[in-house]
Amino acid sequence: MTLALDVATVLEVHAFLAQEARLLDAERYPEWLELFTDDAHYWMPGVENRSRSDPMGSYGPQRMAYFDDDVSDLRKRIQRFMSATAWAEDPPTRHLHVVSNVEVEPGERTDELRVHSVVVNYRAQHDLDAATLYGRREDVLRRVAGELRIARRTVVLPHAALPAKNLNTFL
Amino acid sequence: MNAGLDNPAVDELVRLPGLDEGRIDRRIFWDADVYERELHRIFARCWNFVAHESQLPRPGSFRTAWLGEDQVIVVRRRDGSLGAYLNSCPHRGNRVCLAEAGQARGFVCNYHGWSFGLDGALRGMHEAGVYDREPGFDRGALGLTPVAQLDTYKGLVFATFDAEAPSLRDYLGAFTYYLDVVLDNDEGGTEFVGGRITSVLGCNWKIAAENFAGDALHAGWTHASGAEAMLGRPVPSLGRQPESYHVSVNGHAWEFNLDTVGNAATLDDPVVLDYLRGRHADVVARLGELRARMVGSISSVNVFPNFSFLPGQNTFRTWQPRGPHRTELHTWVLVNRNAPQRVKDAWRKGAMMTFSPAGVFEMDDGENWEGATRSNAGVVTRRQPLHYGLGMRSCVEHPELPGEVHRGQVNDANQRALYRRWSQLMQARSWTELVAKDAA
Repeated sequence: MTLALDVATVLEVHAFLAQEARLLDAERYPEWLELFTDDAHYWMPGVENRSRSDPMGSYGPQRMAYFDDDVSDLRKRIQRFMSATAWAEDPPTRHLHVVSNVEVEPGERTDELRVHSVVVNYRAQHDLDAATLYGRREDVLRRVAGELRIARRTVVLPHAALPAKNLNTFL
Repeated sequence: MNAGLDNPAVDELVRLPGLDEGRIDRRIFWDADVYERELHRIFARCWNFVAHESQLPRPGSFRTAWLGEDQVIVVRRRDGSLGAYLNSCPHRGNRVCLAEAGQARGFVCNYHGWSFGLDGALRGMHEAGVYDREPGFDRGALGLTPVAQLDTYKGLVFATFDAEAPSLRDYLGAFTYYLDVVLDNDEGGTEFVGGRITSVLGCNWKIAAENFAGDALHAGWTHASGAEAMLGRPVPSLGRQPESYHVSVNGHAWEFNLDTVGNAATLDDPVVLDYLRGRHADVVARLGELRARMVGSISSVNVFPNFSFLPGQNTFRTWQPRGPHRTELHTWVLVNRNAPQRVKDAWRKGAMMTFSPAGVFEMDDGENWEGATRSNAGVVTRRQPLHYGLGMRSCVEHPELPGEVHRGQVNDANQRALYRRWSQLMQARSWTELVAKDAA
């Protein structure tokens, strides 16, 4: 194991997720993207309101998703955010990403960790426009050139209907 | 008494007296009595899109759907036919189906165990013996309330609560010529990819519907940032397209040009473009040269009242009214059934990248529509008419295109056509009265 689950590693993961949240809060998207490996997959499936007994489950691959992105897809989204003509982003949204319930487990590869967390995203715009989204994340973090990087992220929302007009951030 | 129906002030408002001069009264986007009348005279009366047949593959397949604020269960019955019933128990009114989709042998109310078959008939209930001893109790009279009519057009399932409504074919009329561009450009027909995404907009439903009916103007301005991200360049000037149109039939509306792949190109995926180019000769053979050039062109569509889609991006959606100032947006993705899996995947991903709540195009729409709704809270603001006066003299005869045809996709003609149909329905006391007027 090149990544032992010692206290230092767990603290490093906490610090990594907090730093990531701070970059998102500040809309520092190009820097945020640098936290991903080149082969990263970022997936936020759409959630359906189905019965417990339904073998389809409430979400799954090959179905509609808010994000089913590789790094080049993420880059396109970021390009829009950075564009001077993204009228809906001005005045800017004021974001808070709160990350909690962090659990660190060994990964499938020796240079990887599986990390569970819960994220709460509060967005405020104009005077009283606001939306709160919740998500449970499962990340695969990989050690690349000494640094932690996100190789895979799955975010599952509890919301079967997004309680907002858009999702102009990342969770 | 109903403040929406028995209300002379609403009678006057919904006549839309300024429409032929290109003016709309803003109160139709704000007033609660107008909204109440819409639920009765638009949504309880029109053919509403409720499902794609591919979502109901086997007996017992069901999904819930909305006709205005009335929820129905759409189900494939044992004999393979489709049915739709109000999702409300005739005993105490509770919903009998809580899942949005799935596979069922019937529907059981959680409250008292009243249970219903796939045909909507009452089968039994908790303590059935007590009911059986009740003199005059008639199970046969107590099923789930069915819609008045249900029909399909090339895979799309529609339903209406109004027995007097014209048939679906008559309701769509010559608009089927246009619908075939997306529904029948391949012999295998179409299907929806799995899943469904819903979001909530703080806008009046008509503001979204009219945008898809005709608003090519906003494409280059509102979506400048999205085009830059996906194409690396702005949307071309649509006012200078040599051949572009607004067409409408019975309030159904399609704005388009003939650039073949303008919308599809925004998915920035060669798999999609190669597929369309590879299909082109076949599509020409099926639909002719003109319609083959509409398959993925810069265009948008609304089927009256609230079922919209974008050819090329293939996002299909309904704008469900939730009060005068709130709309629930339900979205799906359409693909050709015979397309290779990687083409279907490309469309699923591309539609989500562009037109989902996180999509680079859709993100900019909600903000505008909410603003266009909320400003009307101001009583003085609400008195100011809105300008719908573009293309007042753009109506043309076209040798191929049916319906009301206007030259130029940067136009307000389709929006006026939508509101004209809305106004007719909002005034008419019945379909029979309206159909008689249509004929005259």
